[in-house]
Amino acid sequence: MNTKKIINPLISGKKRKRNEKAIKSVFFLTAIFGIIIIFSILFFLIRETYPLPTDIWSFLSGTIWSPTESLQFGTFSLTVGTLLVTLGAMIIAIPISIGGALFISEIASSRVRSIIKPAIELLAGIPSVVYGFFGLIILTTWIKDIFGVPTGETWLAGSIILGIMAIPTITTVAEDAIKAVPREFKEGSLAMGATKWQTIQKVIIPSALSGITAAIILGIGRAVGETMAILMVCGNAAIIPTPLWNIFSPIRTLTSTLGIETAEVPVGGPHYHALFGVAVLLLMITLIINITAVYLLGTIQKRQGATSKKKKHLFSITLLIKIKKIFTSLGLLFILLLLYLITGLLITAILVIIGGLLWFMRNKISQKNLQKIAFSTLGAAILLIIVILGIILSYIIINGAGALSWEFLTEAPKRLGREGGISTPLIGTLYLVAGAIAIALPIGVGASIYLTEYTKENTLTKIIRTGADLLNGTPSIVFGLFGFAFFVLYLKFGFSLIAGQITLAFMIIPTILRTTEEALRSVPQSLREGSYAVGATRWQTIRRVVLPPAAPGIITGAILGIGRAAGETAPIMFTAVAFSSFFPTSLLEPVNALPYHLFIISTNVPGAAAKNAAGGTALVLLLLVIGFYSIAILIRNHYQKTMKW
Amino acid sequence: MIDIQKKTKKEGIFALSLLAILMLVITLFSGCTQTNNENQGLPIVVVGRDSASGTREFFWEHVMKKGNFTTTMLEKNSNGAVHQTVSTTQGAIGYVGLGYLDEEVKAVKINGIEATVANVVAGTYPISRALNMYTNGEPTGIALEFLKYLDSTEGQAIVEDEGFVPKTSTGSYVKVDGLLGSITIVGSTTVLPIAQLAAEDFNTLYGENLVAVSGGGSSVGVQSVGEGSAIIGMASRELKSSETTSYPNLVKHIVCNDGIAIIINPENTYVEDLTLEQVQDIYDGTYTNWDELE
Repeated sequence: MNTKKIINPLISGKKRKRNEKAIKSVFFLTAIFGIIIIFSILFFLIRETYPLPTDIWSFLSGTIWSPTESLQFGTFSLTVGTLLVTLGAMIIAIPISIGGALFISEIASSRVRSIIKPAIELLAGIPSVVYGFFGLIILTTWIKDIFGVPTGETWLAGSIILGIMAIPTITTVAEDAIKAVPREFKEGSLAMGATKWQTIQKVIIPSALSGITAAIILGIGRAVGETMAILMVCGNAAIIPTPLWNIFSPIRTLTSTLGIETAEVPVGGPHYHALFGVAVLLLMITLIINITAVYLLGTIQKRQGATSKKKKHLFSITLLIKIKKIFTSLGLLFILLLLYLITGLLITAILVIIGGLLWFMRNKISQKNLQKIAFSTLGAAILLIIVILGIILSYIIINGAGALSWEFLTEAPKRLGREGGISTPLIGTLYLVAGAIAIALPIGVGASIYLTEYTKENTLTKIIRTGADLLNGTPSIVFGLFGFAFFVLYLKFGFSLIAGQITLAFMIIPTILRTTEEALRSVPQSLREGSYAVGATRWQTIRRVVLPPAAPGIITGAILGIGRAAGETAPIMFTAVAFSSFFPTSLLEPVNALPYHLFIISTNVPGAAAKNAAGGTALVLLLLVIGFYSIAILIRNHYQKTMKW
Repeated sequence: MIDIQKKTKKEGIFALSLLAILMLVITLFSGCTQTNNENQGLPIVVVGRDSASGTREFFWEHVMKKGNFTTTMLEKNSNGAVHQTVSTTQGAIGYVGLGYLDEEVKAVKINGIEATVANVVAGTYPISRALNMYTNGEPTGIALEFLKYLDSTEGQAIVEDEGFVPKTSTGSYVKVDGLLGSITIVGSTTVLPIAQLAAEDFNTLYGENLVAVSGGGSSVGVQSVGEGSAIIGMASRELKSSETTSYPNLVKHIVCNDGIAIIINPENTYVEDLTLEQVQDIYDGTYTNWDELE
């Protein structure tokens, strides 16, 4: 008996080591999965691009896109369109979202926060098709009437819609980053007599800068890759605005080209190859944006690390200030232009003068007043978000409430969705989302555990992280095209549930990875050290010490993932969906899904009955997402209450 | 350190005030150009379909005479989206199937002929086409029965309800025994409503899911049936020469006819009647304002 007791720990010690190694390699596999996906996407897209119907130079620099008539395949105007729309969207979204994030985390009382935070997450859950229809019916009409332009389907409309869509992504992640700033920093600053606003400005923002930058990267990723909403509101004329700052020109992005043409293009023709060329180009642009962002993030992190450890690089500070300046001036320019167009010359001039005076008087205003001004600006930002949300929600509810009934939920669509209900698309969406999250959650969480817990920063983690960032910036429609080329054509799955699930899973892995990583990093290092000190292995530490407090953050990531997967049309449009009224009986059959059903009945079925049903479908889709969100928010709140260290 | 901060602050103020002046100049400038652009009349907003659309291809061949569209044309991926934009944009012009006509848009007369089902049947309305289904070789089994169903009184009633132009029906459909399995129908989104509705009734009649329908567009329809991934392909146009070479065995079956209406906003009072040449000139960008057409 005694000997056994002595031997046992030895064996289990070896076993433990082996287990630890096995666990580590599993996490390693999940971590490099992102890289594998990126490369296979690139490979399969390029494979389908060949042979490009034109030479590469005229493909990139040509300004005429006429793939079926004059057979010209120039994509330059599409590239410019994509960049301009994204730029506009960021100018709108970044100030509002960061203001919102600051308001939520630093100014709002916990009661206000508990209302506002879910509201913003809700904004993320509104499907892009719904945004598109809201944009097409309400926003473009407003723009047309207010500015007196012939059509509201413009660059401006596209930027506004994309800006709104990027707000929740940026706000949520930025808020997490701000919350992760150690309390001591804040307390120290306040103790030295700084006002709350000074603390926010000089302590909190700089410390949270890496997280805020990550938030902006995520936002850009969302904006560049958005397809369904943008193709409905920006007119899709393949022209470069003249003059270049003409925000009332219709515009066409790379994604909307893919969105409207790919579904109906015959496989293997010149048009088909050219579209895959567009997808590769889109991917390359996002790669460039992301690599730049990753590089920037690196410089900021280096500087931030310096506050606690090493010397400062003067260069990076001035560089950063310059970057900040460029962004603020671009923002100001856009706002002024808008202001002028809305209010006319005189008022703009007066406002510019007032603004200038305020700027020069900045140092003369007392800190208290400055704080008042700043806080009310932040409050206005959050109010704006809430108002936007309110308008969109009330629009959806007013349009959809009439159609809603028990039969609508439980009956299969009949007569093209005009009669009967939406049981098949509803169940189809649930199937798709469940499959996607089941695949994506283990991979995303595993990868982030590997990155934060198992490795120090080295070339490999850099590559893995870059891979995840690149995957995150990959537009959803590119996932759709990849899914089509790989699962549907190459693996011969055909349009099938499984193809849609995996494609959606690939798309949401980086969202989960990013947020999980952020959550894991916010767990204090001292907790881990304490655990190791009492003899726990790495895996035990992760499971018992690190994961529980990080759970709320992981759940937030999963929520964002679910929200995205449930509302996405682009990735499933070419991989999984059919406008059918049957339930799939196997993974290899196509399904109907709510956003696709909505898209088809609102664009392809004439008549008032279809419009009514479309309203109902939009409302159900929204309620479904709210349902997901509420459950997840409840879980998170529960964790937050029980976890205190 | 402090020096640098001070310096950058000064620089910042300088740069920003410079920027403010610059912006004022730009806004003034763009203001001038804008007032210059504001001429009389109503600018034409040309709305068309996407490059992969069969309807666009038909329009391009028969109205545009294979000439180029204006680059400022807004492109939409469905009839419904074209209708939506035209119904909310005062200066817009678009083209949709007759089934999409309602009080929210106004169909212009073409060469003096109104866009109605009766005029298409009579052959006087100039922009119409056949909606087709293709099979690889002569149809058999379920495909044959389904095509028969489409030709029957029941099938053509669906055609008429959906606003398409029916052909003479072959009488009431007679159910047959011994149909087994299932078939898929893929292709044109224009034909899709008819096929979907007919499939629902057909499946109900037989009490089994014999026929499944999905979209994809005319070209996809032809390709799918040619390569065997679908039993019936739908197309809102005739076969191209490249398609007849690739798939020589395709057999055409006309489902019905479809008129294409040229639609404008009801508030557009400039025109009621256009010639085909005028439509062409609008779509190639020769006319840019409705008052040129008054």
